[in-house]
This record gives sequence, structure tokens and C-alpha cells, in this order.
Amino acid sequence: MLGSLGGLAGFGSLLHPSVAKQIKERKKQVCLIWLDGGISQYESWHPLPDSKFAGPFRSIKTSIPGVHFSELMSHSAKIAHKISVIRTMSTKDPNHSTGVPRMQRGDPLDRGVDYPYLGSAVAKLLGPADPELPPYVWIKPGNGGFIHREAGFLDARYGALALGDGRPPVHIHRPKGVSSELDAARNALRQKANERFKAYRNLSDVDAYETSYDMARQLMARKEIFDDEKLDPRDRERYGQHPLGRHVLQARQLLEAGVRFVKVNSYHWDTHGDNFNMSQRLVPQADQPFAALINDLDDRGMLDHTLVVMMSEFGRTPLINSRLGRDHWPDCWSIALAGCGIKRGAIVGETTKDGGFVNGRGYDVGDLFHTIYNVLGIDGHRVRYRHKGQKLAIANDDCEPIEEVMQ
Amino acid sequence: MSIPFPTDYASKIFWVFAGMVLGCHLFAEKPLHREIDKLVKFRAGDVPFAKVADDATFLRRVSLDLTGNIPTTDEVILFLGDKSVSKRSDLIERFLKGEKFADYWAERLSVMLLERLDLGKVSQDEWKVFLGKSLAGEPKWDEMVRQMIEAKGVGASRPAMKFLGKADHHLMTENVSRLLLGMDLTCAKCHDHPSVKEWKQSHYWGLFAYLNQTKQATRKKEGKTYLVESLATKKVEFESVFDLVKMSTGPRLPGGGEVEIPQFEKGEEFEKVAEDGLPAVPKFRPREILANDLTAKEYDVFTRNSVNRIWFLVMGRGLSHPLDEMHSKNPPSHPDLLALLAREFSGHGFDLKWLLREIMLSETYQRASRLPKGVAKVEPTSYRVVTPKGLTPEQLLRAVLRVTGNVGEINPPDSESEAEKFDRKGYFTGTHDELPSSLEDMKAIFVQTFGEPPGQPEIDFSPGVNKSLFLMNDRLIQHWLKPRSGNLVHRLGKLNKDSAVARELYLCVLSRLPEEEERDWVSDYLSENAHRREEAQGDLVWSLLNSAEFRFNH
Repeated sequence: MLGSLGGLAGFGSLLHPSVAKQIKERKKQVCLIWLDGGISQYESWHPLPDSKFAGPFRSIKTSIPGVHFSELMSHSAKIAHKISVIRTMSTKDPNHSTGVPRMQRGDPLDRGVDYPYLGSAVAKLLGPADPELPPYVWIKPGNGGFIHREAGFLDARYGALALGDGRPPVHIHRPKGVSSELDAARNALRQKANERFKAYRNLSDVDAYETSYDMARQLMARKEIFDDEKLDPRDRERYGQHPLGRHVLQARQLLEAGVRFVKVNSYHWDTHGDNFNMSQRLVPQADQPFAALINDLDDRGMLDHTLVVMMSEFGRTPLINSRLGRDHWPDCWSIALAGCGIKRGAIVGETTKDGGFVNGRGYDVGDLFHTIYNVLGIDGHRVRYRHKGQKLAIANDDCEPIEEVMQ
Repeated sequence: MSIPFPTDYASKIFWVFAGMVLGCHLFAEKPLHREIDKLVKFRAGDVPFAKVADDATFLRRVSLDLTGNIPTTDEVILFLGDKSVSKRSDLIERFLKGEKFADYWAERLSVMLLERLDLGKVSQDEWKVFLGKSLAGEPKWDEMVRQMIEAKGVGASRPAMKFLGKADHHLMTENVSRLLLGMDLTCAKCHDHPSVKEWKQSHYWGLFAYLNQTKQATRKKEGKTYLVESLATKKVEFESVFDLVKMSTGPRLPGGGEVEIPQFEKGEEFEKVAEDGLPAVPKFRPREILANDLTAKEYDVFTRNSVNRIWFLVMGRGLSHPLDEMHSKNPPSHPDLLALLAREFSGHGFDLKWLLREIMLSETYQRASRLPKGVAKVEPTSYRVVTPKGLTPEQLLRAVLRVTGNVGEINPPDSESEAEKFDRKGYFTGTHDELPSSLEDMKAIFVQTFGEPPGQPEIDFSPGVNKSLFLMNDRLIQHWLKPRSGNLVHRLGKLNKDSAVARELYLCVLSRLPEEEERDWVSDYLSENAHRREEAQGDLVWSLLNSAEFRFNH
């Protein structure tokens, strides 16, 4: 669970002090919606009805004249003017086993280390937005816990606090039968004992141990922000009653509370067979909460400092296979971004006529990471991790921010 | 076949420090523990030192360090009442000879050497048995390490091959350099170390060249897997990612000479033909040479790392710290002491118990962790006070069990059938309510919570919100704090006098008698909660279990 001191400690140690200070002063937040597998670009952001590869769905008008999305994206079509879509992602890896880490680590040049996933990287680079809260929370179906492997070579404490099925970590609950008064009373005893132990000792380890209890109690006091039970039923209706809808709504709650980075995972976006029925069922489950989140953040004045990214491992093949499926296609696919210095209404990227390939410049995941860091106020070419005496790039040095979608 | 170690290596390498050659401490005339104190005092100069720790603190410290658990209430009372002048050295002696020593040190060394990874065909249990047996009598550290690298795969030392895991060449190279030589050469795989001038890319590949012939092979008849070596005919080639210059090296220890790869006539390369799934055995086996040369008495990179790590295990920090950064930019706090320990350890035949005994007999080990009067702060590297060590995950579990007194509820290993296997993931996610009943499952829960991720060293104390939340709120611990026949809270419930409650409580949880102020706390809390006295006693245990004094070996 929550890394040791929630990122309070060690913030400046990997970075040049001047850069660290510059970053610390800004409050920026991130929500990454990760569709594990790949959402079909034809059935979402880039319908191309005249393409020989088009599926059975119509394309519909969006809030931007001349721009069309698939009819499965009816909610997002209404907010197209608030977001950017890049239709020319051109990444390298068509395999699941390497695709997830490669995409979520941003594919820096191989220096023989395990790079952190984006959430851990941001937790390290920006620290917690609210010192009482863990910097990186991951909402996912299935099991929760503290997932340290996301931190890569960074200290394990930069890993993700995962809320399995949206539930808070099990130890955040005060045991049944222990009232808050009683809890306070026994903690007072504990503190008295510690004061006595600390007298005549000057030990940073003991101080750190105490701090971990202070933070634990602060977290217990705010446990409702981790709990999806308390969400407004009307909001649930707007975001959708399916897991992804509930989890994106919960992400909004965590962002409002001040969590720096929230990742929401949805699985089973892998339509090798029956792509069209599956897309008809799945795509609206991403569309509805994505659009609701953008609108809510915008209404609350949060969109200007909150970056939202919705992406997959890769796109899906133009060619429809014999099982009416689309396979993995990294060569030309689409992702959506919004907020925090991302242009409103920039639907960019020229493809070949049928949408199979990029026409002009394609963007790799390294470019995407530079874009993300850039809008978060981090210069991806200057800021370096320091690891065992080695300076390591935070993003692939051969890539550049995607100016087309940046304000 | 063995290549003699070059005798002029000492003049070539940096890490033979001046302290070693100065001569003044060349031969220890006094017992080593006195020399340790002398060198620590000499370096600190004329400044106040912490007093020697009181008996209760000493007993708790030595119990944790040699048996892996806090003492029982009876042991505390007995030791406090013992009037013998030699009771401290007697205790150390008793623990070193006791049966708990081997199990506990097998656990400590296993965590250090495997870092909680479970690789290869040898099971964790077999490996622990090997370590336990090696540690039971008169453990010789060089012999244990030699067996781990030789990895012969036969006889009682077969499980030693666990250290080499699945024979991944790079992982073996990194582990040998980091864990046995105190050199984290990971970045030297691709280029010379960027800031440590003397760590060369050729060091990494020199070690690699001893290990790159090793692979797993299975003998068909018995179905057993061995780590065999194939025929080495040429040097390994490598190039720096910076300048792309091609280089090559044969097997070579850092600071040592290169082992020449012998060339044989065709047909003369092997001493045994292939049989039953195992390949032919070459006459030239570099891994076997590594096992001998690395552990040679004269190779002080190994001996220095060995004593540094053993010192760390009992003193809480290495003389050279971090442990795998033993280089010129990270000089040891006491170079002369490190050199002395290394020389004496190899001089005493790498006798692990002898070294532990000498360290523990020193005042440096027996000092209090409380600052000397009038001193506000001292550097931990000065050893003027003892640095508290966080309890390991396993120590913590055993201590919590001993304190709460619920050991009777634990099932023996393997008593649960597959069908009712405890769901560890579900326990942490909250989807499964049942509590673990076997020690193995409890250990897994504590290791998952308080340990580092597999593959990471457990060196520094790392508190965490998750860890605190666990000790505060975990269901198992709450369960242990409910009164049940014979457990601590039940026993406290039978005591009418508050002072008796305080005495039992402090003896049991903190292994010492309460002071007046503490007796007052207990009695105040109990009178404020007179209507719920038994539960209030549970609160008192809870507050001490969650205190820093309990969490540390101080």
C-alpha cells in the first residue's frame, strides 16, 4: 500500500534542486484511462466511413464542424471542442507482453534498468499534490494492494496504491468495535510511549516511523474518498453503471480530493474475434465516463490543471480478419487527451485514405511522454533521474513534444 | 585444476587501504573485541560515548540477533536476577550453541543471498536445511560460499546451488559481484562506471566469463537438475556503449589476474563423456575455479565484503555503507577496523560464530542506544551510540506471537488440505474473511507487508503507511488481542492490581520492567476505563505493540 512517506521524502534527491523547486510550486494532476488491449480507432475516434476497412457503424458529427467520430462515441462527440485527438499514433510493439510496459514506461532508450510506469514517474517527479494523500492511486478490476513493481528502479514507495474493484485498502478501516474516541485514546498511549523512547535519542528512523503513523491516521480519517459507496447516484447514472463508469467517477472523486495521479484500468479490449459486437458493447463504456469526466472537470475549473489521457497498448488492424475481428495494429491509431495545457478541439493527424498508415509524421509513445511531461511543466529533455550514479532520461531523448495538441 | 592467485594483486588495487599496511594493527595481540573498541574510540577521539546498555536491553538485543526473537518473560526475569559477572558472555555463548541460532541465521543469510527470490530447481525448504546444517556446528563462511558457487549438485551440499538460481549468466554475475564482493557492477555491464573510476566494464565481464559456460541440465534417470559447464574455448567479447571499442577478457576477479583459457587437442577437451542427459564434462571448468579463487584467504575483496555484511547484520549498518558500494568514492567509516576484521576473520578460518562472538563481546556492540549526557546528536558512523535496527518481517511476526501469546492456535505445516488453502490475496483485498492458521501463511502476510519486493535487498529501515495501518488495524492482530485462554490479554485480565498489570505488560511486550511513570500511565488508563477493564488491557498491549520501542531492536 501507500509507499512509505507518500513521496514526502526523497523528492529532491534525484533531481537538480533548481528544477525540483520549479516543479514543486505547480499543482497539476493526471488521470490516465488505460484500455488494456486496444480500442479500435475505426470504431471510436477515426471512423473513416469511406475506407475499405470501415465497419458497420455510422460516423456522426461532433461539436467541431467537419470532424466526425464513430456513432459509438456519442457523448465524446459533444465535447470534441474540449479535447485533442491524435489520429496518427505510430508505435512499435504489437505484442501484449511487451506492449503494456513499453507504452506505460514511455519507451526511454534502453539503459539496462526497469523504468517506472507513468504514474510512479509522476509521483516521483512531482511528489504528492496533497501531502496527506498517496501520490499515485490505481483503480482496477480485481485485486488491490500496494503494487510496487510499477515503480521500476525508483524506490518501491513510488508504486501504486491499487483499489481493487474500487475498494479502499483493507487496513484503512478501524476495526469493528473500536470507536474513534477509543482509537484516539490508545494512540495517545502509543505517542506517550514514543515520546519517552525518543528522549535522549536522535533518530531519523524513529521520526520516520512516527510520521508513518501520522499519515496512516490522516488517511483513515479521509477513507471516504477511497470508497465508491458514497458516490452520488445521479453521477453514477451519468458515468454509467458498468465498472469503468464507476471507476472513472471514483477517479474524479480522488482528483477532487487532491490525488496527484489516478490510473483507471479497463480490461478485455482485445477484439480479435467479433470486433463489432464487442465494440458496440465496450466503446460506449469508455465514451460515456470519459465525456462526463471532461465536463465535470471543466465545470469545476479543474480541467486547466488536470490532464486526462485515454489510451491503449495499440490500435486495431484495418483489415477485418476471418473471425470478424481486428488484430493488433501499432502502425496508425488514435488516442485522446484533454486539459492542463492540451489544446481544446485539436483533432489532428493525417492518415492514408483508408486509415491504414500515417501520412506524414507519426507519433511514438516517446513523443506522447514528452507531451505529457511538457504540459505538466517538466522538461523531458533536461530533467533526469539519478540512479546509482547514473543520469537517466525520463523520456526517450530522440522524441519531442507533440506541438499540434499543445496550447 | 586451479590457477594460482597472483601475488602482486595487492599492489595493483585500490581497496587495500593504508590502515592495513601501516603496521600498527597488523597483528592483533589482544582479543579482537578489545581491538574493535580501541579502533572505534581512536577514530572518535576524546568525546563522550553512550554507557553500556542495561541488562534488559542487552538481553533483548542479543536474543533478537542470535535467535531471531525477543526473550520470554521468564528469560527476562532470570537474566535480571542473575548475579554472575560473566552472564553476558555466557548468554552469547549459550545462544551461539543453541538450536535457534542455525534456523535464525539461515533465515537472515537466505534473505541476504536470495533477496526473497525463489529461482531454480532447489526448493526453499531444501536450501534452508542446507544453510541450517552448515550453521549448526562450526560454520565456515568461505566453505559455504564455495559450495554455493561450485554448485556440484550432489550430496548434502546439493541445495547450495540455489544461490545461482536458474543459471542466468547476467543475474549470477550481478549477484556474485554485489553480494559476495560488495560491488554493484550493474552499470559496468554496458560501460565503465561513470563516477567510480576503478570499476571497469572489464570487471563485470571478467566475472561473467567465469559463469557464462554454466547451464541447467537434467539427468534423465533420476530427473534431477544440475548446473553443468560447457566447454570454454575463447574469451568473452564486449564493447562500451559510449565508444563502441571492442574488448575481450577471460575469467578474471576484480583486482586479480586473468585466468588463461587452455587450448586442448581435439578430443582431449573433456574428462568425462556425455551421459544420460548431462553433457560431457570439460577439463577446464571456470566456475569451479571461481569458487576457489573468490573464497581464497588472500582475496581480500571477498573477505572485506564478508565482514562488512556480518558487521551490518548485527550493528545495523556496514562499516562500508551502502553494502554494495565498496569503492574509493564511498570509503568505509573505519578503514583500519574493516581491514582488521577481514584479516582476523580469514585468519580464524572464516569461523562465523567466532566473529559474531567477538563483535558481540565488544562495548561497541553492547553500548546503549541512548545518547551520552549532554550530547544532542552523534553520527551513526561514529558508533558512539548503538543504532537501533528495525525488526525484520520474520522477527516482528515471532515477537508479536510471543507477546500476544497465541502460539497454541497455529497449525503445524501442511495440515491444511489444498481445498481449504488460505487465500492470501483475498485476505489483503478484504474479499476473504477467514484468518490464516498456519505459521507459513502468517509469515507470508508479514513478509508481504514488511519486506521489500523480491529481488530488492533488505538493508535500511523503511517505514510505510501500509505497514503502520497493518499493525494498527489488521484482523489477525486484533484477533490475537482478544482474551482467550492463556494469551496475554487473558492473563492480564486475571490480575487485580494495576501495578501487576503494568509489570506483566512491560515484561512481556518490551522485555523490561516498567518505570514509575509508566506504571502511572497504566493505572490511569485502567481507572479511566474501569467499566471495560479487560478491553482496556487489550488497548495497552496494542499501544505498546505499535510503539517504536517494540518495532526496533535498540
